[in-house]
Amino acid sequence: MSAILSAHNLNKSYGKFQALKNININIERGRVVGLIGPNGAGKTTFLKAVLGLAPCDGDLNVLGIDPFKKRAELMKDICFIADVAVLPKWIQVSQLLDYTEQVHPNFNRQKAEQLIAKTKVSLTHKVKELSKGMVAQLHLAIVMAIDAQLLVLDEPTLGLDILFRKEFYDNLINDYFNNQRTIIITTHQVEEIEHILTDVVFIKEGEIVLNSDMETLTRDYFEVMVNQDNYEQAMALKPLAVKKVFGKHIMLFKSPSRDHVAALGEVQRPSVSDLFVAIMKEDNA
Amino acid sequence: MKTMLALLKLEFQEHKGAFFKTPIIIGLVLAALAMLSYFTTDRFILDVSGGDNMQFAIGTLQQLGDDKINFGIDVFMLMTGSLYHLILFILVFFILLGSLYDDRKDGSILFYKSLPVSDTQTVISKLLTATLVAPAAFIIGIMISHLIMFIIISLILTFNGLNPFTILWTNISFIENWGAFIVGCMVQALWALPLYGWLLFASSIAKRRPFLLAVFAPLTVGFIWYWYNALVNLNLFKIGFFQTIGLLFAKATTPFATGLGQQNFESMDFDPTAHSSVEVINSMLKGLWQIELLYGVIFAALTTGLAVYIRRYRNTI
Repeated sequence: MSAILSAHNLNKSYGKFQALKNININIERGRVVGLIGPNGAGKTTFLKAVLGLAPCDGDLNVLGIDPFKKRAELMKDICFIADVAVLPKWIQVSQLLDYTEQVHPNFNRQKAEQLIAKTKVSLTHKVKELSKGMVAQLHLAIVMAIDAQLLVLDEPTLGLDILFRKEFYDNLINDYFNNQRTIIITTHQVEEIEHILTDVVFIKEGEIVLNSDMETLTRDYFEVMVNQDNYEQAMALKPLAVKKVFGKHIMLFKSPSRDHVAALGEVQRPSVSDLFVAIMKEDNA
Repeated sequence: MKTMLALLKLEFQEHKGAFFKTPIIIGLVLAALAMLSYFTTDRFILDVSGGDNMQFAIGTLQQLGDDKINFGIDVFMLMTGSLYHLILFILVFFILLGSLYDDRKDGSILFYKSLPVSDTQTVISKLLTATLVAPAAFIIGIMISHLIMFIIISLILTFNGLNPFTILWTNISFIENWGAFIVGCMVQALWALPLYGWLLFASSIAKRRPFLLAVFAPLTVGFIWYWYNALVNLNLFKIGFFQTIGLLFAKATTPFATGLGQQNFESMDFDPTAHSSVEVINSMLKGLWQIELLYGVIFAALTTGLAVYIRRYRNTI
């Protein structure tokens, strides 16, 4: 397996505040990685370092390149959507395509136009005439028409309605993703993307607190619906989280095997968001 | 090279309105003023003397020698040229102030930086827009404006029974006067370089209101320098810093006068009746040998370099 991104002892401080603390991570080709963390955890700082937008201490290597030193070169093989609706407002859609075509060696204009044709955006529109959702669609169309090896999405759908969000991720996975490409996504709406993720990375206060592929995650963590009768016994196993729903206790366990906890009640796969909440709290405890 | 052309095209598209509309609107305003004065004067004269004065004026115009008409047109074209240089500078001033700030403000820098274009290329494209693209648009703009004005004058002459070709068109020195404006634009770009560099720097570093930084930071330094000399050295006349800024602005706004003087403002006062277009061109080109120009270019290189450096780190305001 070839690592598309590798970081060793990555640190970044803003004055006295340490935004990234000794980050170590390798991301392989062909993965869809969800970078998940509370506000101010350092997600955007990490992504900025990956995209060459900000320098940091330590070793960072993306596609064999030091991002901050050679951002322009790196951008031939990386795409990113760093925020919603950041396309220049004054520009006309066709001018935007012209420009991207002229500066980007891996941009396929025909493909972009095909993708745009599926939306309500027209080539003669100016970006300022489009709704926020349409700008996101346009941006995604441009990004999907770029033959890149790594796509970084930082809250790409923030503030968009559920229909747009769903379509956005569907297009991404069905029409763009393949085993040669890697996607890194950060979002607060974890439940909407967890079905497309192959890996999750939880980041908290500048540190990686969990880095796992989804298979390991579903193998190690269990959510058990515990009856009142088994409550004491279950609590003795020290669940990571407990919530009470309709008189039953739903407990989250990290356990070496399913059999271990199956006796306590009905076992199901925990959602990434539940897991996230549990792990964030666990670390606080 | 391909990337640079794409960047310049993008800059042109963004400011197309300002580049072309500004010179043509000024041309139309000047033409409208000329028409207005013609019609009001005409009516006034008719009212007073029943039209005799108009006939007298036509007679005078017919008797006027070609060289005098030619001189009058030269003065008119040089004067409008000088006005357009001033307006070009003001336009470029504000475009540069926003050039590395506006995209940080609205977040579109994140789109621009997602493409394989380096910060050096971006900043240089802004500088080339100021020194080449905007002047080129103004050159075309002044030509169109002049032609519109001459067509209007022709119509007025025809209307009064005069032949515009013999009186007007054969007496216009297009090449010399437009040549002076074109050379003026290039000379202006060179003399204005330090100011353009400074504006790029201010635009790149400002967290908000680049205008205040660009204008008030040097003024503050100037005042401190002045008061330091006034209070500590008891010298009330040491205004060197302001004089440098003043001279820079004078040269950047009135390129026709750049060859005339370098140490005091009075000799730099451009008088279009005192010099022919060819003299103005020669004097401007000779003026380029002043050492101050070299200092300006060095300052521009420094500030532009700083603007690039800061651009690498600043992705927001």
